[in-house]
Order: sequence, then structure tokens, then C-alpha cells
Amino acid sequence: MFENTWNNIIDWFSDRSERARLVRSFNQSAKKSFVAGIAPTLLKASISKGESSYKHQFSNWLKSGYRIQAFTGRILSKDELIHIGKVILDDSILVRRLIVLGFDTLEIHGDAGTYGVRYQLKDYIPLPKFNENE
Amino acid sequence: MKMNDTIIQDSINVAEQTIIKATETNESTNWWMWLAIAEFGIIIFLIIKEKLNNRSTARQRFKNESLKQDIDFDNIINSSFNSIKLYDQLKVKCHPDRFPMEKEKNLIAENIFQEITKNKNNVKRLLELKEEAIQKLNINF
Repeated sequence: MFENTWNNIIDWFSDRSERARLVRSFNQSAKKSFVAGIAPTLLKASISKGESSYKHQFSNWLKSGYRIQAFTGRILSKDELIHIGKVILDDSILVRRLIVLGFDTLEIHGDAGTYGVRYQLKDYIPLPKFNENE
Repeated sequence: MKMNDTIIQDSINVAEQTIIKATETNESTNWWMWLAIAEFGIIIFLIIKEKLNNRSTARQRFKNESLKQDIDFDNIINSSFNSIKLYDQLKVKCHPDRFPMEKEKNLIAENIFQEITKNKNNVKRLLELKEEAIQKLNINF
């Protein structure tokens, strides 16, 4: 029991650092692409509350949403937001990484207002069923 | 002379008592010190055990495998804005129907076209396929 608690504490710290790194890496690439003129809009990733009905076995308790928001530059249409979502969901390595780090919701938002799209991550990758006692 | 002896004897007694007191105090300090060493030892043991123990449950294995792979965020951002245009260009230029008479080229075009459709949201892969199409099908973009 003590060992499990100890493992959980270590995992929590490790996951937290990995989650922050995932957000930071995305933001660095987005900034670089915007400056180089590859992307017409600056995208910014952050961690959000997420949708509680999208929970899965790896889901984080509180903040389980990976939000990508369009900032300065051209305003994106809904079709473009959907396309960004599709690009991310097509990358199985990224989806898998998001899932194991406790994210269950992918949100793509525009700059103004609350419009955007939301995806349930577990729909895009087959998750094996694990026996907790194993 | 006798008085000197008494003074010396008293001094020895005082010194003995001081030593006893000091030893008692040291014993008490030692006890806490050993406790701290024991705690430190337990922490080090747990850390080493944690490092050595690979905790290879199926769940942990799945997680570790997922964390090992690299993610190309530059490609993801690039694909988010530029993949549609490139895909539209490639799907027209590399369509197998453009090579109805040449059987070999038609087959190559079919394979490339399938790959293009499969990777329509991946600019990096589409650029590789574009290069392949230029070399194998002699297409001018």
C-alpha cells in the first residue's frame, strides 16, 4: 500500500512536468511558425477544465482539457478550427501522449467569443482495458 | 599539604561530574542523530528501489511506450495551415487516371495516391510523396 502511494506521488509529479512540457513545446513551435510566416495565426495551447463526460481510465481529476486557442493574426473560420482538430487527431502519437498524460478533451477555440470545437480523445485511439491489480 | 589534596580531590570530582553530564547530553544527541540517519537511509532506499523497480504493469508499460515517442509539433502547426492546399495539388497531379496507357506508372501512381489520401493532414509526409512523384512519375509541379 505504501509502495502504491509512493508510486502515485512520483507519477503525479512526473505527469505534471510532462503535461507542462507538452504545452510549452506546442507554444514554442506555434510561435516559431508564426514568426517564420508558416502559420497565419498564432496558436496557443493551454490546459483547461475539460468535459467531465469524456473521462477515461487515464483522465486527470480536475484539469483534463487540452485547449488550443487562435490568437493574433487572421481570425480563423469554423472550418479552419475543425481542420486544426483533424490534424491533431490524425497524429496518433500525440493523441496517445495526451491520453496517458490525463487529457480527455481537445478544444480548439477562436480568438473572440466562445465559439470552437471540442473532441473526445478516447474516440480516436483504441484504449486497452487494464486490470488494476496486475 | 592536606588542604591541597582536598582541593585536588574536589577538582577531580567536579571534572568527573562534568564529563558524566556531557556524556549524558551527547547520548541524547546521538539518539536523534541515529533517528535522522535511519530516516535518511529509508528515503535513499525508497528512491533507489523506485529507480530499480520498472513497475512493469500493463498500464505502466502502455504509458511508458507512449511517452517514449517524439512528437513533431512543427509539422503539426505547418499541417494545420498548409496541408489542404498541398493535398489538393497532389491529388490532382498524382491521380492514377492520368496514366491510363502506362501500366507501371499507373500502379506507382495508385500507390502514391493511396498514401496521399491516408496522409492528407500531414505536410511532412505529403512533401515526401511529392518528391517521390517527381522522381517516379516525372510530374512537374
